[in-house]
Amino acid sequence: MKDTSSTRMLLTGNHAVAWGARLSRPNFMACYPITPQTPILEKLMDFQMKGELDAEILTPESEHSAMAACVSASMAGVRVFTATSCQGLLLMHEKLHYAAGLRAPIVMFNVNRTVAAPWGFWPDQTDSVSQRDTGWIQLYSESGQESLDTVIQAFKIAERVSTPVLISHDAFYISHALEPVEVPAQATVDQYLPPYEPELFLDTERGESVGNVVSPEMFCQHRKDMGQAMQLAIAATQESDAEWERLVGRGYGVIETYRCDDAELVIVTMGSMCGTVRHAVDEMRASGRPVGLLKVRLFRPLPSAALRDALAGVPDVLVLDRNFSPGTGGVLHQELKSTLFGMPEAPRVHGYLAGVGGVNMSPGKIEELADRVCQAEPSIQSVWAG
Amino acid sequence: MNQAVRAIWTHESTEVIKTGSWRLALPAYVNLPAPCHKACPVEGNIAVWIQSVENQEYRDAWLTLIENNPFPAVTGRICHRPCEDSCNRGQLDEPIAIRCLERFVGDLAIDNGWAFPETAASKTETIAIVGGGPAGLAAAFHLRRMGYAVTLFDDQQQLGGVLRYGIPPYRLPKDILDAEIQRILDLGIDVRTNTRISSQTDFENLRAEFAAVFMATGAAVPKRLPQLDYSQPWVIESATYLEQTNSGDHAQCGERIVVIGGGSAAMDVARTARRQGKEVAVICLETETAMPAQRDEVLEAMDEGVTLIDGVMLRSVTDRALKGLELACVKVEFEAGAERGEFSVNSIAGTEFTIDADTIVAAIGQDPDITTLQDSLDVEAGLVRVDEQQQTSIAGVFAGGDLVTMQRFVTVAFGFGKRAATEIDRYLRSSTSASDSTPEQAVSTDMINTHYHPQAARAKQQMVPVAERQVSFDEVELALPGDEALAESQRCFSCGNCTFCDNCFDYCPDMAIKRENGGYRVNDDYCKGCGLCVRECPTGAIVMRQER
Amino acid sequence: MLRSGHAACPGCVLALSLRHILNTLGPETMAVAAPSCAALICGAQPCSSMKIPVYQTTLESSAAAASGLRRALDTKGKQDTTVVVIAGDGGTYDIGFQALSSAVERNEDMIYFCFDNEGYMNTGGQKSSATPLYASTGSTPAGKLSKKKNLTEIMAAHEIPYAATASAAHLADLVRKVEKAKGIRGTRIITVLIPCLPGWGLPDDEAIATARLAVDTGVFPLYEVEEGQRYTLNQTTRTRPVKDYLMTQKRYRHLSAEDRDEIQLMVDRNWTRLAERSATS
Repeated sequence: MKDTSSTRMLLTGNHAVAWGARLSRPNFMACYPITPQTPILEKLMDFQMKGELDAEILTPESEHSAMAACVSASMAGVRVFTATSCQGLLLMHEKLHYAAGLRAPIVMFNVNRTVAAPWGFWPDQTDSVSQRDTGWIQLYSESGQESLDTVIQAFKIAERVSTPVLISHDAFYISHALEPVEVPAQATVDQYLPPYEPELFLDTERGESVGNVVSPEMFCQHRKDMGQAMQLAIAATQESDAEWERLVGRGYGVIETYRCDDAELVIVTMGSMCGTVRHAVDEMRASGRPVGLLKVRLFRPLPSAALRDALAGVPDVLVLDRNFSPGTGGVLHQELKSTLFGMPEAPRVHGYLAGVGGVNMSPGKIEELADRVCQAEPSIQSVWAG
Repeated sequence: MNQAVRAIWTHESTEVIKTGSWRLALPAYVNLPAPCHKACPVEGNIAVWIQSVENQEYRDAWLTLIENNPFPAVTGRICHRPCEDSCNRGQLDEPIAIRCLERFVGDLAIDNGWAFPETAASKTETIAIVGGGPAGLAAAFHLRRMGYAVTLFDDQQQLGGVLRYGIPPYRLPKDILDAEIQRILDLGIDVRTNTRISSQTDFENLRAEFAAVFMATGAAVPKRLPQLDYSQPWVIESATYLEQTNSGDHAQCGERIVVIGGGSAAMDVARTARRQGKEVAVICLETETAMPAQRDEVLEAMDEGVTLIDGVMLRSVTDRALKGLELACVKVEFEAGAERGEFSVNSIAGTEFTIDADTIVAAIGQDPDITTLQDSLDVEAGLVRVDEQQQTSIAGVFAGGDLVTMQRFVTVAFGFGKRAATEIDRYLRSSTSASDSTPEQAVSTDMINTHYHPQAARAKQQMVPVAERQVSFDEVELALPGDEALAESQRCFSCGNCTFCDNCFDYCPDMAIKRENGGYRVNDDYCKGCGLCVRECPTGAIVMRQER
Repeated sequence: MLRSGHAACPGCVLALSLRHILNTLGPETMAVAAPSCAALICGAQPCSSMKIPVYQTTLESSAAAASGLRRALDTKGKQDTTVVVIAGDGGTYDIGFQALSSAVERNEDMIYFCFDNEGYMNTGGQKSSATPLYASTGSTPAGKLSKKKNLTEIMAAHEIPYAATASAAHLADLVRKVEKAKGIRGTRIITVLIPCLPGWGLPDDEAIATARLAVDTGVFPLYEVEEGQRYTLNQTTRTRPVKDYLMTQKRYRHLSAEDRDEIQLMVDRNWTRLAERSATS
């Protein structure tokens, strides 16, 4: 159904994120500025200044301190949002583990940008992908609209499974590109997302402490519990997305398959690359080539069952990684291979490092790659596409 | 989900962890004796009553004092104060002026007319005490408080013995003595003055009539120097001299007096003679600092114009009629013996000299009169022999004071009186002596955390100016003003006596010291045995004890 | 507010200081603890020695985490809850210094307690920037060659509303400072000197005596700075030479007489400067 109470605005991807955050009514934010995240921070500050956002906003001396403050605030039982990018996210790394370990349902938005050195300001997902073991749920967005919707959904997911959520969209392609965005009414979001009321929180009446040292057995059990929460997060994401779709008519799934029926080649990717591939698929389908797109929206936990279902019977899969893990190659490539491993008649998985460092990947280039992989045996290693 | 999240939150207390198991030693509140207490002939709980003074609970201080000594105003003036010699504070700066404080409390009691607390329920037995001096009076007090009827015999007109007839009023004013004696008599004592137990029959009658007898007739027989002809009018015994002057009579003597002797009696004679305007010299065998008299007595005597000629022996006296006496003397090397009163002297050849005088007062000590007693009781070296319970060779007959010891101090006599009362009570109640427990070590200076005792000067004993002293029998030593007494009491380490300062409670990192029943208890569930409570105790009231 | 059964070493005056600080602050208090001896004293899961809630954070982030907690409580209308940090010198002078400086600059409403035992004692005794000149530690076995960072002066330079030094041996002074700090809004910092028994080489019953010597010798003066301007020296006389303090500790056992003289001169200089500031402010 269509959400008739929403307002259509021309927004950059980052301002769409700020709107998503504002509508989720967080009580606390801690942000440190970094290109290309700054418009999110500034917009939120603007909202707060105008009295449109009732939240404490802390601007400390580093992203590390920002995340440190987010975790403690979350443990005090309030809703917490923050945003960062590349170096900032990496500086937070220690605290990402800490937030996940304390089961703090923080929502953080990351603008994917190249990790120094050398310095760059270009779209590249290595920053967030490299945080995959920190215990955060990770979602990748393809558009400003999706980013806004995902921020709202993320609070629901995070608070349901007591696990923090990291959402990423690509630098500039999404973060700074203007697009018409349906901004839902506050009442709609309030209906979807009730106030955060955790069972356990720091409280002088209760006197409980959190974060004390544990025994090896307790630690091991704790990690099992985190793993279980991650598995529950797949269904939580699906259900939160479906509920949102019922309210506003927009849903994204944990993965999205686009024109994959009878496809002989499915191109798998994340983030803004999906839009480019979507265009290339349309071109190839028009020229009679049976090619489809599989968009990975939920990267952590990796929705293995959904991926195996979607790719069952597909002869060839082309993975486009806008990230690079030296020594193995594309992260999604490696993860997909392991996910599909052991499937009867598993697809041949071709991995390409495409758009690393923000290198432009045109639809034409993608068509070229599609043609190339169908005629070749896949390489074990990811292949540089340029 | 909730269970998993709950697992990272605490919901129990560390009190389930009994850290006491880490410990090797446990602190214990021991209440060890203070050195002053151990040194005190009456075991006077000095730290306890000084603490009461510090708390300005003066009546409590007095009540503690009289538990062991009914004469605090007397001992507060004339005690030879072994307590002060042993005082731990002496290691830091100067000992506490214990005697001044005792006098302060004793005088307060007299000024305020404080009476002794109720005596115990009356007992059927009556005890005879022979001798109304310090030992006898003390015994009378303690026995009466225990509930015994007491009959006190004395051969003088008035009670007090050496306190009244020996010690001059400028050291011990008679009104003070009278007040403290009267307080004892008010307990209900049957007093028989002018009564001398002078025959074996008298003694046997006593034994027959009374449940127990305490002999405390003192040492009233003067020792005599062979060099002196005691039949001469120019030789006077010190006891006679003092008895006459202390009774207000003037002894018949010339203008130039030589006193022979180095003890308190010699000083008393010399100073009394100075007050009568005489020219006085004291000659004694000992060197000045080894004299048995109390040091301040010697110094005060010299201040008052007494000439001290120490380390000297009288060889002979020549009566030169109108020219007076010529005393031939020689310098000697004096060596004290093992027992008090024992010594040896060697004349130093070529050091002979003479002194001119009109009268000689001999003050070389006195012996007990045992002429009657020695037929009934075992005697040894001129003293009545007693066992550890102060019992003589006859069951039920006890003895104390100068009659049994050469320790000729008033406070020692008070101690004999106290102990005799305890032992007579045990004898009559057929209970065993408590002296089987091993004596406890006194608190040493290293057990005191002196941080809590900042340096502070000892209270200065104020004196009447010398010029006034020389013409008056008024008391020489002035009382300590109240504020100074309070300040002096605050200097006390309270060795071994908990002052409830809370240091042990406050400094325990494990909350293992509990306040309980007005004191403290160690919670051994949690005490890790660090010893901080012991280390920070200002009084040495806690010690660490090894545990198995 | 501190419970028995905690894991502090026997005779640890950090636990003692915590006890008196918490009792002074009362139950309407929350603490952020950095990894440190203090954090271990808080207890192992599922037991807490603290009757107040404690949030344990990472070593470098105490002041930031306390800021987050403070702001979160503010959003809940709990402005009257006192937020405190309990951290060691490593977590304060060193790795947590950036977050601390920033929190002070923002004047976050919290009391920061630095339990200064002059090294990383929880990890077995390595040097921190709070370790004094010539002190031997696991990472400076021959003695540290640089001087101790002056945290209180740095805090004063931030014009922090209240900065004070305190000592476990001076409990009344400590309690007074905690009460004073509690009555002030904004960032307050109290650095408590904690002689570490194993780290400094002291017998179990000697921490108080050592802390007292530190003050009496002028090595660790007790003072307060308000708004970075008004200095108050709490104990205005030095009664003992620095040597008395150095000689009782194993970490200074290797010092020569010349070394000790040098430290005495350094202490004299610091004292004179402090006394002048105290007299003129």
